[in-house]
Amino acid sequence: MSTRHIAIAIGVAVVMAVLAVVLGRYGAYLVNAVAIAAIGALSLNLLIGYCGQISFAQGALLGVGAYTAGNLGNAGLDGAVAILGAGVLGALVSALIGLPAMRLRGLYFAIATLAAQAILEYLFKILDPLTNGVSGLVIKPPSIFGIPMTSDESLVLPSLVLLVIAWLVVSRLLRTDLGRAFLVVRESEIVAKGMGIDVGHTKLWAFLIGGFIAGMAGALIGFANRLASPEAFTLDLSADYIAMIIIGGLGTWPGPIIGAAFVVLLPEVIQRVGEAAGISDILSALRELAFGLLIILFLIFEPRGLTALLSRIKLRRIGVVPPAGLRATGEGSQSPEGRSR
Amino acid sequence: MILVLQLAVAGLATGSVYALIAIGVVLIYKCSGVVNFAQGAYAMVGAYVSYVLLSAGLPPILGVIFSMAVLAALGTLTERLVLRPMLKAQLVAVMMVTLGLLIVSRAACLIIWGPDQIAFPKVFPEGSISAAGIFITYNYIAAGILALVLSLGFLAFYQFTPIGLQQRCAADNTRAALAIGIHVSNQVSLAWAMSAALAGLAGTLLATLNGLSLDLAGIGMIAFPVIVVGGLSSLVGALIAGLLLGVLQSFTDGLLTPALEDFLRAHTSIYSVGALQQVVPYALLVAMLLLRPQGLFGRRGTERV
Repeated sequence: MSTRHIAIAIGVAVVMAVLAVVLGRYGAYLVNAVAIAAIGALSLNLLIGYCGQISFAQGALLGVGAYTAGNLGNAGLDGAVAILGAGVLGALVSALIGLPAMRLRGLYFAIATLAAQAILEYLFKILDPLTNGVSGLVIKPPSIFGIPMTSDESLVLPSLVLLVIAWLVVSRLLRTDLGRAFLVVRESEIVAKGMGIDVGHTKLWAFLIGGFIAGMAGALIGFANRLASPEAFTLDLSADYIAMIIIGGLGTWPGPIIGAAFVVLLPEVIQRVGEAAGISDILSALRELAFGLLIILFLIFEPRGLTALLSRIKLRRIGVVPPAGLRATGEGSQSPEGRSR
Repeated sequence: MILVLQLAVAGLATGSVYALIAIGVVLIYKCSGVVNFAQGAYAMVGAYVSYVLLSAGLPPILGVIFSMAVLAALGTLTERLVLRPMLKAQLVAVMMVTLGLLIVSRAACLIIWGPDQIAFPKVFPEGSISAAGIFITYNYIAAGILALVLSLGFLAFYQFTPIGLQQRCAADNTRAALAIGIHVSNQVSLAWAMSAALAGLAGTLLATLNGLSLDLAGIGMIAFPVIVVGGLSSLVGALIAGLLLGVLQSFTDGLLTPALEDFLRAHTSIYSVGALQQVVPYALLVAMLLLRPQGLFGRRGTERV
C-alpha cells in the first residue's frame, strides 16, 4: 500500500460520494450497489485472484452476512455491531467452506464449494427461526452509530467507508509475509512447501479474511434490500461475483472495483436502452442474454480483464508498444499462462 | 418392503437419466480438461428442440434423433467457437465461460418459449403396470430403460469401436495420440458433440416425465455429485454413481424425509425439512471428496498439478 494507493482509493470513494449526491435517489442506489458489490468482489479476489482458491460459494457467504446482520439488527443492536457480527460469522462459515481445501486442490476444491453453496442455500430455506424460510427475513432499517439508515442515500457513506477500508487492508495485506505466501500458494503449493510455507495455514487465513469482508458486504446487502431471502443468494450471485473479478482482472489491484461497477451498471444500461427501444416485456431475459454473452466474449477476447485492457490503451497512447506478454499491473498480476489442463 | 421396491424402481429411472448427463460431463472432462457447467443447458435446449420437432408432427423416434443431431452440432459449435480460444486460459475462467453459456442459453430459451411450463407431447403410451405390488407408469419404465440402454451402448461404443479407441487415446495422452496420427482436436470436437447429444436426449426424457420448463437447466448441477462419487475420469463410475444417487434421492424423499420431519416436529419448532433430496447428493459429494477424492472408480493422481 503506497501513498498512491491511498490517494486513489480515497479519490474513487469521493467521486462516488459526489455522484451519489448529484444524481439523487437513483444515483445513490447505484453508487451504493457498486460499493457493496466491490467489497464482495475484493473478498473474492483475495481468495481466487491472490490465493488461487476457486470458490463458487460467495453468494451463500454474502447470504450468511445478510441473515446475521438482519437478525442482530432486528434484535436492536447498533448497525455497526451487526455488520461486525456478520463479518465474524462470515469468517467462520468461510473457514468451514475452506476446510476441504486442506486436502483438495484446484478443480476438486471448486466442486466442493459448489456443494457448500447448495447446502447453505438449503439451510437458508429450512432454518425457519433464523431465516424465516422461503418467504425471507424482513430487516428493519438499522441505525449505525445512532444515525438511522432509512434510505439508500444514508447507506452510501458506511458502504464507501467500508469499501476504502477493505480495499486498503487487502492491498496492505499483500505486502506482508502472509500476503506473499498467498501468491506463492497460488502459483504452486509444492514450491510453497519447499519455501517452508504452511500451505494449510495460509489458505485458512485467506478464507478467514475473505469471509470476514464478505460477511460485512452481505450485511450491507441485507440493510440495503431490507430483506434476506434464499433466492437472493443463489449460485447465480456467485457467478456474478466471479464475473466481476474476471472482468475487472483477476488478481489485480483495481480489478474488483472496476469489475463490480461494470457488472452492476451493465444491466441498468441495458434496461434503459431497452425501455427507450420499447421492448420492455422481454427485457429481463434480454438483459440476462446480453450479460451472459458479454461474459463469454470478455473471457475469450480479454481474459486478463478490463485492467489489462486499460493499461494497454494507456501504453499505446503514450507511444509505447506493449510487449506480447504484457501482464496486468499491480502486485501479483496473473498466474502463468501455461496452466496444465 | 413394497414401498422400498417402488422407490428403488423410480430412483433407478431418474438415476439412469442422471447417468446420461454425467457421462457427458466426464467425456468432455477426459478429452479437453474442461468442467462443463453448461451440460444442463444442453439438456434443456435438447428438450425444447424435441418439443418443437414433435409438435410439428414428426414421429417420436425421428424427432428425438433429429434433436440429438441438432445438439451435436451445437456441442461442436460451442467447442470450436468458445472453448478452443480459451485453451490456455486459467481454470476459473474456463469454468466461468461455461457458466456464461448456461446463462445465455437459459435466457435464449426464455425469450423464445417464455417462462411457463409447457406440456410435452406424448411420446410413450399412457398407463401403468403393477407387478408384485409395485406400481409404475410406462413413462418411467420407458425413460429409465432407454437412458440405461443408451448409457450402456455408449460405454460399449467407447470401449469397443475404432472411434472409441481414438477417443480414449486422445484423452489419455494428447502428444502420443498426435504422434500416431490421431487428429486430436477433431476428437475433442467429437467428444463435445456426443456429450451434448446425450444430454439433449436426457433432457427430452426428463421433459416426458416432468414437463418442459427452464428448470431443466438446473439438472446439469446434479452431474457434479455424480461425477465426484463415480470418479472424475471414469465413465463407468458416472453410470453407477448416477443410478446410486437416483435411488438415494428417491429413498430420501420417500423414507428419510417423512421420518425426519416427524422427529423434528415432535422435538423442535422446525416444521419441514424442505427439499432434502436435493442436498443429500451434495453432502455425499463433500464426504466423498474428503474420504476418497478419486471417487469410487477413478484413478489416483488424475488431479493435475
